[in-house]
Amino acid sequence: MDPLHKIYRLLLFIIIGLIALEILPFLSSIIGMLVFSFLFTTIFLQAVDNIERHIRSRALGVFLILFSTIMVGIIFIGSFISNLGSQIKVFTKKIQREDFTSSIENLSNNIRDSLPETIGNLIPESEKIILMAKNMMIGVFQSVLSLLGSAGSLFFISFMILIFTIILLIEYHDFKRSLVRFMPNKYLEVGLRMIYNIELQISKYLRGQILAASSVAILSIIGLLLLNQFGANITLVVFIGIIAGLANLIPMVGAFIGMIPAIMIALMNNIGSEIAMDHQLFGALPSPFFILDIIVMFIIVQQIDNNFITPLVVGESVGLHPMAVMLVLLIGGTLIGPLGMLFAIPVAGVLKVVITEIVFITKNSHLL
Amino acid sequence: MKAIYQNYFKKSNNVNPIIKVLANVPIFEHLTEKELSEVVRLTHERTYKKDEHVFKKLAPAEGMYVILDGGVLITDSDSETVFATLESGDFFGELALLDEEPRSASAISTMPSRLIGFFRTDLLTLMKRSPELGNKILLNLSRVLGERLRRTNQELASPNQ
Repeated sequence: MDPLHKIYRLLLFIIIGLIALEILPFLSSIIGMLVFSFLFTTIFLQAVDNIERHIRSRALGVFLILFSTIMVGIIFIGSFISNLGSQIKVFTKKIQREDFTSSIENLSNNIRDSLPETIGNLIPESEKIILMAKNMMIGVFQSVLSLLGSAGSLFFISFMILIFTIILLIEYHDFKRSLVRFMPNKYLEVGLRMIYNIELQISKYLRGQILAASSVAILSIIGLLLLNQFGANITLVVFIGIIAGLANLIPMVGAFIGMIPAIMIALMNNIGSEIAMDHQLFGALPSPFFILDIIVMFIIVQQIDNNFITPLVVGESVGLHPMAVMLVLLIGGTLIGPLGMLFAIPVAGVLKVVITEIVFITKNSHLL
Repeated sequence: MKAIYQNYFKKSNNVNPIIKVLANVPIFEHLTEKELSEVVRLTHERTYKKDEHVFKKLAPAEGMYVILDGGVLITDSDSETVFATLESGDFFGELALLDEEPRSASAISTMPSRLIGFFRTDLLTLMKRSPELGNKILLNLSRVLGERLRRTNQELASPNQ
């Protein structure tokens, strides 16, 4: 290739890059939807392929898989909302009995009493705590209202992801072949190997994550049931477990997200109960409303997951050094928050495959 | 709506010409039409110009090719030995379906050619999606390689013939 041609090519790449950078903010939501659709496609692809073999219609296979998944999702969310609704009704009644105010007062006094005087003085007065709690409640209601406001766009995004997923699932193999068609002959075999390795990397990672999430859900349910044996009075245990399992998909922060509904429900159910208020963990540490018990239980579940389950099922699925995983998570989290953390590891795994193949091509260009 | 129906639900009665060619390749012998169409969905049709390399000696090997139209020369570029001249319906490079060793010879298109590529990654996908079909292909492949080994043994045993 003559030098002038090389310069033209470089300029062309720079111009395309700049245009892409300008357009990217406008396309980011569409790209996000496509990424989610691709992930769902990877999750369901195997099942669709298997069903297609038996019923000979891919479209029907896609319909069956997605319909059953959506129905399970609707049943789960529906029953969770209705159960939570009745829970909130009971809770509202409790607040109206003014148990809420007295409970918060007792809690503040209990904590103050159990701590050394110097630290105890740092705890705000009970009136202040009540004001803070009320403000927090108003904040929660406002958040719920704004969430309802954005429900419209959420519905639209979900609908678009569903459409993209259907198209991708039906046309997946043809899309892949069309992509391969554009590859120059000399890069065909290396390119195919790269696509296969990327697919393998993503599906291994997803399968590992789904297994790990299921284990966390089951362990959380067992843990919460055990706490109930000691009088924690936590309801909606299965839902909390499933939420904890799903939240576990987001590395590092997922476990804390899983704790929130458990603590909220423990608070709602135990407001006004003297026994729950005076509960102590291991008979030594004050744990009003079993909050500390719940936190410890989730930390234990997290440790079991991090040290036994994840290394076993996710482990070396992406073949990255633990230090690299931490760095990648930090970069993903800094760039786009929790979503960045969710996608950081598979994206790093894919980049690893691509870079390996590019290095191979550069080293062996005379053979291609 | 009609387009959606025709694209996704209506079965076409035309037999794919690639299926006809693959049916005559020993590696895809005894496969039903349904099984062959499943294989075809994973294959890649490629066109090569005259004198274009399909692959070079020592290049990473990923799979086999079946010639739809045209011709291919299998040669050792170092010693300039010609191992075979292949034409429509012939296949080559099938050893790459089993091992990850580099190519032992070069393949060059002798005229504008249309080839079907079936690669190790496709075979692995097929074995996952349809183990029965994957096993049939592996068995056929073993048979082809076994026959070739027997022939080589006979040639070595009687070098003068």
